[in-house]
Amino acid sequence: MPSVFLTSTSFWVDQFVNGMTTGSLYALIALGYTMVYGVLQMINFAHGEVFMLGSFGGFYALTWMGGDDIGGPMIAVAILVTLIVAMATSAAVSVALERIAYRPLRNAPRLAPLISAIGASIFLQYLVLDRTDSEARFYPKIFPDGRFGAGSFQIEYIQVFLIASSLLMMFFLYLIIQRTKMGRAIRAVAESPSNASLMGVDVNRTIVYVFILGAAMAGVAGVLHGLFFQTIRGSMGFLPGIKAFTAAVLGGIGSVPGAVAGGLILGLSETVGRELLNEIPGVSLPNQWRDVIAFSLLVLILLFRPTGIFGGKVAKRA
Amino acid sequence: MPDRATGNYLARVQRRWRTSPSWARTIALLAALFIVPFLPFFDEPWLRVFFLVGLYVMLGLGLNVVVGFAGLLDLGYVAFFAVGAYTLAIFSSASSPLDLSVNFWLVLPLAMVIGATAGLLLGFPVLPLRGDYLAIVTLGFGEIVRVLIVNMDNVTAGAQGISAISTPSLAFRHVDNPTWWYYFIVLAAALVAFCTARLGDSRVGRAWEAIREDEDVAAAMGIDTIKYKLMAFASGAAIGAVGGVLYASQFSFVNPSAFTLQVSVNVLALVIIGGMGSTTGIIFGAFILVGLPDILQFRETADLLGHFEFLRAGINHVIDGANAISPWALGGLPAADTWGTEIADKRFIIFGALLVAIMILRPAGLFPSKRRELEFENPGAEAPRPIGAL
Repeated sequence: MPSVFLTSTSFWVDQFVNGMTTGSLYALIALGYTMVYGVLQMINFAHGEVFMLGSFGGFYALTWMGGDDIGGPMIAVAILVTLIVAMATSAAVSVALERIAYRPLRNAPRLAPLISAIGASIFLQYLVLDRTDSEARFYPKIFPDGRFGAGSFQIEYIQVFLIASSLLMMFFLYLIIQRTKMGRAIRAVAESPSNASLMGVDVNRTIVYVFILGAAMAGVAGVLHGLFFQTIRGSMGFLPGIKAFTAAVLGGIGSVPGAVAGGLILGLSETVGRELLNEIPGVSLPNQWRDVIAFSLLVLILLFRPTGIFGGKVAKRA
Repeated sequence: MPDRATGNYLARVQRRWRTSPSWARTIALLAALFIVPFLPFFDEPWLRVFFLVGLYVMLGLGLNVVVGFAGLLDLGYVAFFAVGAYTLAIFSSASSPLDLSVNFWLVLPLAMVIGATAGLLLGFPVLPLRGDYLAIVTLGFGEIVRVLIVNMDNVTAGAQGISAISTPSLAFRHVDNPTWWYYFIVLAAALVAFCTARLGDSRVGRAWEAIREDEDVAAAMGIDTIKYKLMAFASGAAIGAVGGVLYASQFSFVNPSAFTLQVSVNVLALVIIGGMGSTTGIIFGAFILVGLPDILQFRETADLLGHFEFLRAGINHVIDGANAISPWALGGLPAADTWGTEIADKRFIIFGALLVAIMILRPAGLFPSKRRELEFENPGAEAPRPIGAL
């Protein structure tokens, strides 16, 4: 009964935390979209599937390590291993995608890589659905339950973990891009592939790095999604994929801080925004309206800032 | 030498075909399509599949106006298809919540107007957007329309759907069996093909082409880009709506689950796989992507594949041999007459792989229009494109 909660602070705190949770996941996935777009100017439509496969990779690692029986301090080790396996799975899939489906089309007209990406996405999604008999898998429930906080400001442990680890991953990514040689190469290629190549940057290898970094973020998002929502299935990559892409566009595609901001804004407006609209008398939007809100927000922002919130001159290119 | 004689004969037929005027070729093609239902082999299930292929040809032609002519990437084409289908369902069906029972032929133009309006509605906000921004906004538009259909249950009956949708009458006869539907869709698709071809060759078509090649230059040449982009959206949407009307009428039932992103992807894929801008390509693409999965499940296909049982025996023999040395057990092939259904079961996996393979082998599509083919064969004629630019 939402009417009971409408006045209470704890309801809005919960909504805010939920928004931050989905928002962090969107942001992690959006980073992959935006980085690939930054260097190749292409939508990696199969990125949602990279996220899904990371989630499955993590799931199999976790069940192999004992699943529900893992307890005590081993939980931390198990989750770390799960994250690493998921990142590796996603990265491997992503590199294979780049090599097989995208690299041969780098100089083809723009629609060709897009269709190839859509094809790869359908292929991966239905391959997993076929292998799993279209049934869901359930992540072992090993994360300790419970919430902490004071008064009406309560937050679940898993949500703290999810938001904190997403932020940590984004911070790592920021360090890699800003402080390492690889990061400098990535920024150079994003600026101009031909000039970067003249300066001795191996463009092909840099593009592979970009795919690996983006996929690692998606793999982490996959595991966090599994730990938080429990249920994973072959078709799970589609909607988060689209939403994350929306987030990337919202923030200004090609911009890394934009992807993070876009993800969080999208996550918050889907949850908090829908409840705020429900506050208006006579309005009662069921959960499915999240998608309508997300896409309407996208259209609204693009109307006033056609290149997204952080976007610069990028959109001029297309 | 009979082989050589047939070869010569075929070459002569081919030359004759190519040198015939286009009206003669059109008549020959229509005549060939006309006799299909009279052939004993093509019974009702086949005609139903052909209807679906024809429907997708129509949708492909409509989307081609937006994507192929004007170069505006639209990933939400299903929205207009849904708008058309639901317009007919709401206004013509006695079981719709409005219960109006309007005649099919009155709803058809109405659906076109509503479809075109929906196209404009999508067109206005996306006017300043280009390329990938356009792709995601149109995709979102398709999803929004679907969610709206599910949630506006007082008009659309929600997830339940609307049944008993009216059928058209043509030449004093109700179009209600697969044969008549087949003729109806052939006529409709031919009409749409004619209209879009004339549109493409007109002043409007040239303006679209200019916008597609370079919007800024087109604007500098005095083309009102806003007007022509909106026109492309509206005409593509109107054709999509007609497709939706025919779909709803033939199946006589609509519900939201039929209008997913998969439809948009299918239509876009068949336009691009066939080769953008070419009608032959669209027909071929529709046949492969929409017709083949159904045909593979037919009894005839099973019978035909049954003859290849020896092939299975041979391959399984090899697999057995491999099993003797391989550490992993390899499964054998299932009975040959089930191959069709096996492939149909896995059609999305194959579809995905096929999209990737065709794009890599023929990035311009299987039957590119002549101009596009020249562009691809002669890349030096143009300035080198930046990575990924259209």
